[in-house]
Amino acid sequence: MAKRPAKPSAAPAKGKDAGVNKVVLLVIAAALVPFSLPTVTILAATMLPTLGAYFSERGSNRYAWLCIGGLNFSGVVPYLFSLWFGVHTVDEALRLLSEGNVLLWSYGASAVGWMLYKATPPVVSAWLTMTNQHRVSGLKAAQRKLVEEWGEEVVRKTPAA
Amino acid sequence: MADAAAEVMVQEERQAAGPPGVLRDRFIIRSNQPLAHLSAPNAEAFSAEDKRDPSRKLYALICRPELPPRVNVMRALKGVGAAGLQQLVEWGPMVWPPLGRQCMTVVYERPAGERAMAHLKAEMRRIDEFDITRKVIEPAVLAIKELTARGITHRAIRPTNLYYMDDKGERLAFGDCVTVPPAFDQPSVFETIESGMAMPIARGGGTFADDLYSLGVTLVFLLLGRNPVAHLDDEAVLRAKIQQGSYSTLVGDARLPLPMIEVLRGLLCDDETQRWDIESLDLWRQGRRLSPLQTRGEKRAARGFPFQGKEYFHCRELAVAMARNWELAIPPVLEGKLELWLRRAVEDKERAQAVSDVVRNALSAISDKRAAIDLMLCKTLTILDRSAPIRYKGFHAMPDGIGSALAALVAQQGDTRLIIEMILREVPKLWFEAQGDARPDTSMRESNFRELRGYLSQTGMGFGVERCLYEMNDALPCQSSLLGEQYVVDLKELLPALNEAAAKREDLKAWPCDRHVAAFMGARARSDIDRNLLSLSDPDAGKGLMALINLFAVYQYRLGPESLPSLAGWIGALAEPVVNAYHSREQRKELAKELPKMVRRGSLVEIYTLLDNPNARQKDQTEFAWAQAQYQAAEEEIRRIHGDEEERERGVDRIGKQTAAVVGIIIGMVTTTIVVIMTVW
Repeated sequence: MAKRPAKPSAAPAKGKDAGVNKVVLLVIAAALVPFSLPTVTILAATMLPTLGAYFSERGSNRYAWLCIGGLNFSGVVPYLFSLWFGVHTVDEALRLLSEGNVLLWSYGASAVGWMLYKATPPVVSAWLTMTNQHRVSGLKAAQRKLVEEWGEEVVRKTPAA
Repeated sequence: MADAAAEVMVQEERQAAGPPGVLRDRFIIRSNQPLAHLSAPNAEAFSAEDKRDPSRKLYALICRPELPPRVNVMRALKGVGAAGLQQLVEWGPMVWPPLGRQCMTVVYERPAGERAMAHLKAEMRRIDEFDITRKVIEPAVLAIKELTARGITHRAIRPTNLYYMDDKGERLAFGDCVTVPPAFDQPSVFETIESGMAMPIARGGGTFADDLYSLGVTLVFLLLGRNPVAHLDDEAVLRAKIQQGSYSTLVGDARLPLPMIEVLRGLLCDDETQRWDIESLDLWRQGRRLSPLQTRGEKRAARGFPFQGKEYFHCRELAVAMARNWELAIPPVLEGKLELWLRRAVEDKERAQAVSDVVRNALSAISDKRAAIDLMLCKTLTILDRSAPIRYKGFHAMPDGIGSALAALVAQQGDTRLIIEMILREVPKLWFEAQGDARPDTSMRESNFRELRGYLSQTGMGFGVERCLYEMNDALPCQSSLLGEQYVVDLKELLPALNEAAAKREDLKAWPCDRHVAAFMGARARSDIDRNLLSLSDPDAGKGLMALINLFAVYQYRLGPESLPSLAGWIGALAEPVVNAYHSREQRKELAKELPKMVRRGSLVEIYTLLDNPNARQKDQTEFAWAQAQYQAAEEEIRRIHGDEEERERGVDRIGKQTAAVVGIIIGMVTTTIVVIMTVW
C-alpha cells in the first residue's frame, strides 16, 4: 500500500495569503473609487511613471517605484490638496490635467526621482569603498601592532582545543 | 767544592720536579722527595710537612687518577689513632704539580722503620710465637675492632703493607688501605678463595671476615719469615687452596707451635661461617684455648669431568675453569654432560636437577637465544659454586665490587658494555637468589641493582651508565670534562667548580651540564630529583634549560655559595631560549634588561625567579592567545571586506537602491507635510 503524500509545506499557503491580501486591498480601493473619482483620475494620470517604474524594473532589488513614486507623489500632492480643499469634482480634475502644469510637475519630479535612483548606487558604492578601505587600513595597522608586540608567531592560528 | 756541586744538583732536581703540592693550605707535599720504601703498588709516596708542626714525621700518598679511591674509608679513618694502623692525618684533592692536575692525596703518619716484608719473594725477619701476639695480633685485633666499629674494612692486610713504626721494631702497624679500591693491591694469596676468584678491581669492600683471613695469611708469612707459596703463581695458589684448603696450602708441612696452629686454622678456615671472628681471636688472645677447626673440603667426584684436556674432580675447580673459558664451557653443559657428571660422579642429585632445569629453560627460550644461553651458563656456574663471585662472560666480580670496576673502566675510557649488559639482564639477581640466605642487606643490594637497571633503561641526561657509576661509587669524583681537572666529590663542591670552569671558558654556547654532571647531581642529591633530570632532556631547549637553572638554583640556595658570577654569566648567555619562551616583546626586553643585573650579583636563585615567574608566564600565554585571536578576527574581517567582488557589487547596488528609495519616500513625505501645513495655514 502506497504511503500518503506528505502535507504541502507552509510556504505556498503563505504566498496564497499574500495574494488574498492584495485582492482585498484592490477590492477596498475599487469600493472607494466612486467616493473619490476625481482624486483617482488625477492619480491615475500623474502616477503613471511610478506604475511604469514598478512594472519595468526586474531583479530582486526592486526599489525604483518607491524612489520615483516618492518624488512623483511630491509633484502631484499640491494639486491633490487644491482639489480636495477646492472643488472636488471630475470636471475640476480633468481641468487640472488639461492645464499641463500638473503633468509637468509630476512627470518632472518623476524624472528627478529616476535620476536620483540612478545616481545613488554609485555614490553609495564609492562611499562604501572608501569606508571599507579605511576599515581595512585600520585593521592592518592593528595587525602590525600585534606583530610588533608579539612577534610573527601571533600570525599563526591557535590550534583547536 | 763537591758539596757545592751536590747542592746545585739538588736545586736543579727541585726545579725540575716543580713546586710542591699543598693540601688544605696546611700540608706541603714535596714532589722532589719521593719515598719509594713507603710507596704503595698504585700510589707513590712523597715526603710531607705539616706547616703547623714541621717536626711531625709525615708522608703522603698520591692516588692514581684512573682508580677510584675509598673516600668513605678516608672520612671514617681520619685522625683515628688505633694501635695497629698508621694514622691517617689528612686527605683531600690537591693540585699535584708533576701531573698538572688534581689528585686525591692522603697524608699518613710516617713510620720510623721499614716495612715487615720488602716484597713477596723476599726473606724477612721471623717473628716468633711469643712476639707475634704482642707485636702483631694484639694491634691487629684492636685495628680490626676499630674498623668494624666504624663499619669499614681494611682489605690491604699483608706483610708488605705492615710497617715498623718505631726504631726498635716493637710497634707494627698496617699501612694504607684507601688509595685504591678494596683489596685491589692484594696478591690473591692474601684473599679468600672467593675473593681471589674475582678480578682485583672488583673484589668489593667485603667483610671483617676477609680482613681476618688476610691477617691469618700474614701471620703465616711472619711466622715462617718467607712466602710459603712464592714458587706458585696466583692461579696455582687458588687451585691449591680449592683442592687442599687454605691452611694446608699455606702451612703445608711447616712446623708451627700448637697455639699458632689453632689460631691459623681458625683464621684460614675457607668456610666464612666457621672462620674465627674478632671475638674468637680476642678470646684466644686472652688465653682461652678453642678446639682447632678441622677443615672439611669439598666432596671429590668419583671420576673427573674432562674439560679442556684436564680432569676436574671438584665442582668449584670446574666452575673456575669454565668461567675462564666461557664459550668452550657452553657445549658440555647444553649437551647434558655436566648434569650427568653431577648425578653419577658427584652423586649430587639436587645440583644435577638444578642444572638440568636451567638448561631446559635456556633451550626453550623463544627470543634472544644467545642471551638465554649466557645466563644459563652464569646460573650453572653459580649452582656449581654459589659463594664464588658473579661470573659472566669473563667478568668476575663480587656484587659490591662492580661499582669500582665500572669506575676504573670509565676512567680508563674502557668498554663498559659488559657491565651494562650484566645489570640489564639482572645477573646480580641470579647471584643473590643462589645465595639463599635472608640477610637484610641482600634484599637491599638486590633492590639497588633493580634501581640501576631502571637508570640504564633511561637514556636521557642524568641516567644511563653515568648514573650507575655515581650510584655505585658514592665517593667517586665527578668525571665531567666541563670541570677540567677539578676534583668534585660532594654536591656542594659542584657549583663552585663549575663557576671556576666558567671563568676560564671562552665558549659559553655549550650547557654547563653534561651527562656526568647530571648523573652526579642525581646520585648525590638527598632528595629524588629524577623528574627534574628528565626535564633536562626536554626537546624544548628553553624547558630543559629552566630545569637545569632550577636544579642549580636549589643547590645554590641550599649549599651556597651566595655568589657565582661566572656560572651566572654562563647561564645568562644561554638564557635566550628561556627569554624567547615569552611571547611578549615587551616582556622580553624587560627580562633582557634585568638579567645582566642578576648575573653581576651571581645569583642563580634570582635568575631562576626572574625567568620562571608562573604568573607572568600565564599572563603572557593568555594575552598571547588573545592577541592571536584578535589578529585572526582582523584577518577574517579583511577577507570579508575583500570578499567576492560580485557579491559585494550586489550588496552595494542593493544598498544604493534602498538609499534612493528611502530618499524618495522622505522627499514625498516632506513635500506632503509642507503642502498640508501651507494649506492649513
